[in-house]
Order: sequence, then structure tokens, then C-alpha cells
Amino acid sequence: MATAKRRAQGKEAGGPQKKKKGLAKVSTGIAGLDLVLGGGLPAGRVTLLSGGPGSGKSMIGLQCLIHGAGDGQPGILVMFEERAAAVRQNAWSWGWDLARLEKKNKVHLMDARLDPESVISGEFSIKGLLAILDQRIKAMGAKLILIDAADALLHLYDNPMRERRELYALHEWLLDRKLTAIMTVKTVPQGEAPSRYAFMDFMADCVIHVDQRVTAQITTRRLRVIKYRGSGYGRNEYPFIIDESGINIIPITSNVLQHRPPGPKVSSGQAWLDDVLAGGYKCGTSILIAGTAGAGKTTLACLFSRAACLRGERVLYLNFEESAESMVSNMLSPGLALQPLIKTGTLAVRSYLPEAMGIEEHLFHAMKDLDEFQPQHVVVDAISACKRMGSEQAAFEYLMRILNVCKERGITCIYINQTSGLDIVAEISGIGVSSIIDTILLLRHHPVGGAVVRQLIVMKSRGSKHSEQFHEFRITDRGMDLVKT
Amino acid sequence: MTKAGKREKRKYGKPGGKTYVFRLFVAGNESNSAQARVNLARICEEHIKGRYKIDAVDVLKDATAAHKNNVLVTPTLILIKPLPKVAVLGNLNDTRQVLAALRLTGDER
Repeated sequence: MATAKRRAQGKEAGGPQKKKKGLAKVSTGIAGLDLVLGGGLPAGRVTLLSGGPGSGKSMIGLQCLIHGAGDGQPGILVMFEERAAAVRQNAWSWGWDLARLEKKNKVHLMDARLDPESVISGEFSIKGLLAILDQRIKAMGAKLILIDAADALLHLYDNPMRERRELYALHEWLLDRKLTAIMTVKTVPQGEAPSRYAFMDFMADCVIHVDQRVTAQITTRRLRVIKYRGSGYGRNEYPFIIDESGINIIPITSNVLQHRPPGPKVSSGQAWLDDVLAGGYKCGTSILIAGTAGAGKTTLACLFSRAACLRGERVLYLNFEESAESMVSNMLSPGLALQPLIKTGTLAVRSYLPEAMGIEEHLFHAMKDLDEFQPQHVVVDAISACKRMGSEQAAFEYLMRILNVCKERGITCIYINQTSGLDIVAEISGIGVSSIIDTILLLRHHPVGGAVVRQLIVMKSRGSKHSEQFHEFRITDRGMDLVKT
Repeated sequence: MTKAGKREKRKYGKPGGKTYVFRLFVAGNESNSAQARVNLARICEEHIKGRYKIDAVDVLKDATAAHKNNVLVTPTLILIKPLPKVAVLGNLNDTRQVLAALRLTGDER
């Protein structure tokens, strides 16, 4: 897995959540999570990871354990519900070789399921388990411990007072051994009776809650840090995905605006449009191209992309409307040969079906594309299609995150928005992003006499002069030509 | 818990009566463990006098044995013989329940 890369990425977006002195932290191996936690889990303390079934809590714990094993922090996994063989198999499907780590004494799996046939008569304690663990800790020099499904252990006790007492004893035991501990606990969905383990939230030094919810038929996973004693942390809910490399928390842009100032002006790809924009687009700014279907939005964006590519700059084109092949073939009509640019590696077209996944997965892919391709300019075609990622809110979040990342990295961001009616002025803003857009170009079909002509107007261009006229243009086989009137 | 049985090869049986072999896992002298020792001794004396053997294991001293027998809580009483094996968790305060679990009710008296 690309841990190193993700770690580097985490550092880059570090911002105000720098590691604080005093409280030692242990990296989780999940870059986005380290960022949320301001460096990692509290070393030598107990972290509670709660969530419903299938929320991914055990997986997060396992990834921390495996990362630790490779990072000089041998760990023990105590399982109260799963069989060791099943855990090994699950880990293997994520490319983690637990058996090898066990052989190297970096990880120990402890099957702590009680025989269901056991008879209970009178009081008892978990001293046996602790004695076994003590022996293992000494033998392998364990620093981490993951107690999976700690709630299952407590079900043994029929008395809430004793449950609590035993848990406090376990907590003390963990602290005494200076273990960095993660306990996963099942929670009931919100709205039902409060969890009988609510007191655990008070006991642990760090509490993380994960859940899985379905909105508009698209499932999203989210993570929230509820508390973290002695440390700052990201206080929002953060979407995360589980993919072939494990847990990926969408890198959070820092909570202050660290946008870079706009760069020099570059050509829009058409000389007359550069005149209209008093020199072209500013590098590193955001540009919205809005207009009705067929008004020439994609052509305008591709003109710019081609001009940039020919200058040797890289352009990432995120297409939610058509495949790369169909876009390349369609752009031949206005005389734009994109295939050579793709071949030379200056243009990358990535097509995604908006409804195929939730926004966090879309974001993850976009971030991966941004990191791998390192473009100077990004085109999103079209933001109107992003609504299909779930909801208008989801689309807004997606676009805002992309925009923030682009602004932080000084990447020019071109959003295309398709408006439906002819009264497009009311519609152009699209999903409420217009206030943070630097330049807005509006394309429309305008009836003149018995015909319809194409017109372009610059609605806004922050920090720059621009024409305030409607300009009539035609799409020819050489791009977009100004019609002189 | 099947592995534990292999260690128990020695024969304590006397011809005539069933011999009971117990292993009692305790944690030092904590109160539940102490109670379990007393309760078990009393039950054996009352019900199977002369036909039992108790092997007490302190998990604080012998964690390996605890691991091998999958003993996670203390005290844990394991009836090794006669088969089938039975595990009873807790301080054994509920005599009736312990007797039932160890199949010592009725005819054994």
C-alpha cells in the first residue's frame, strides 16, 4: 500500500494541527486519520473506537496494529468474537500478511472467545486473560494492543456495576503497562436506548466514532473524534472509504484558508477571448463556465486545456458526462486534437460515473488523480452532474473540497455548469459555489431574428478588468471564432 | 479445550467408583479464587469423598497453562474426568448449580 505517499500527503495538508509537544502520539498508518488526530493515537493510553455493525471499526484497529508492527510497535490483537483464522483471512484480502507478522513475533492473535458451554456460578474476574497477556507482552515486547469487541466480554457479567468495575480494572491494567490500546465497542444506531457502555466514553482518553449511513441510495462511511484528552483534533465528521489498500480518510483541507495568491495570466486558448478577459485566465484561480446545453462550454474548456498542454503544462480533466474516447472524438469537430496531448502525457482525462459511488470515494479518486498527475490546471465537467453523487449537499462538498485543494496548491480550477433554461442568470451560480469562484463566463443561445446565435459574457472576474459586453461567437472547425458586429 | 486433555494421562481411578479429576485455575489469593478453593473442597468432600483429585493452577504463576486451557477468567474450574469436560466459571458459590454442571446430582451420593 502507498503508505509513504499518503503520509507525505498528510504532512502537506498539515496546517494548524501540528504535533503538540508533551503528549506522545502513535501514528495510525492512516494519513487522513493522523491528520484528524493531530499526529496519531495517544501513546500509552486507551482509545475507544465505537460504531455499528459493518462500520469499519475493527478494520481501522487492524490497520493501526499492522502499521505499528512494521513501525517498531509490536502488537497483540485480542478477539472476543472472531476466530483467529477468519481474521487472518480477512487481513489477507487487504494484502496484509498477518501470519508472517506472527511468525516474526510482531503481531500476536489471541482468541479470547469463551466456550459457550461454560457454566457461570458466582463472581469472577478476567485475571486469567490478563495473566496470559502479561506473558505475551513480555515475550514480544508489545507496545500496542487491540481489544476487538470488548463489549462481548462484558456481556458475561449480568450486573452493570460489575461490568463497569471490571472495565475500569482493565483500563488501569492497560495504563500500568503503558500500552497504546484500542478498544472497539459496538454501538446501537442513534435514536435507540443509550448505550450501556456510555461510561466508556468518559473513561478513555480518546474516543472515535465511526458509522455507515445511506443517503439517496448511496452509502457513506464517516468518522468523528468525540474527544481527545490533552490534544487538539479535527472536530468535523470525516468521510472515509475502504478500498483495496485499506482505510482511506479523505485528506481534510486545513481549517484555515491557505490559498495561494493567483499566478500570472495565461491564454484562454482564443486570442479574442484573451482580449475580453484583459489577458486571459489567472493561474491558480477558479473559473466557472456556465451555459445551456450545446452552447460550447466543453469546447471552451478544451480550448484552454489544449493551449495549456501545448505550453507544456499538465491538465487534469475530470469528466462526469462522457468517456474520454467520446470526448476526444467530439472535440475533433471544432478542430481540437486531444489524443496527441493525452499521448504525450500533458492531458489526462478521467471519466467517472457520478452515481457509481459516494462523494468520499469520488473525492478519494480525485485526490489520487491530483497527487499522481500533479496538474497545473483541473477541469470538472460538469458540476451539474455532481448532484448525482447523492445530493446537492454532496455535490457542494465535493466541489468545495476540490476547489480548496486546488487553491492551496495553486492549481487553476475550471468548473463547467450546465444550466437548463434560457433564463440562465438565476441558475449560473450552480450549487452555491459561485461566491467563491473568481471568474464566471456565461454562454448562451440568443434568438436574433429567425435564428439563434451563441453569445459569451464575462459575469465576474475578480481582481481583473474585463469586457462587460455580450460577444457573439461561432464554433468552427478551428475552435471558437468571434463574430464581429 | 481438547488439547488440555492430552496432558491428563495419569490414572487416578480406583476400581469401583468413578474418579473425578478437576483443575482449578485461580489468580493468587484474590477473594473469588479463595472462595472457589473452599467451595470446591467442600463439595468434593460432601459428594465424592476419596474419589477426587484437584489440581490447582495459579494463572499469575503459570500463564502458559491458562493459555493452553483457554482460561480467560478466574476462577475457572474444569472437570477433566470423567468426560465430557465441563468448565465452570466463578467462585462456585451456587452449590446447586455447580453440582448440576458437574453431574453430581442424585445418584452420585
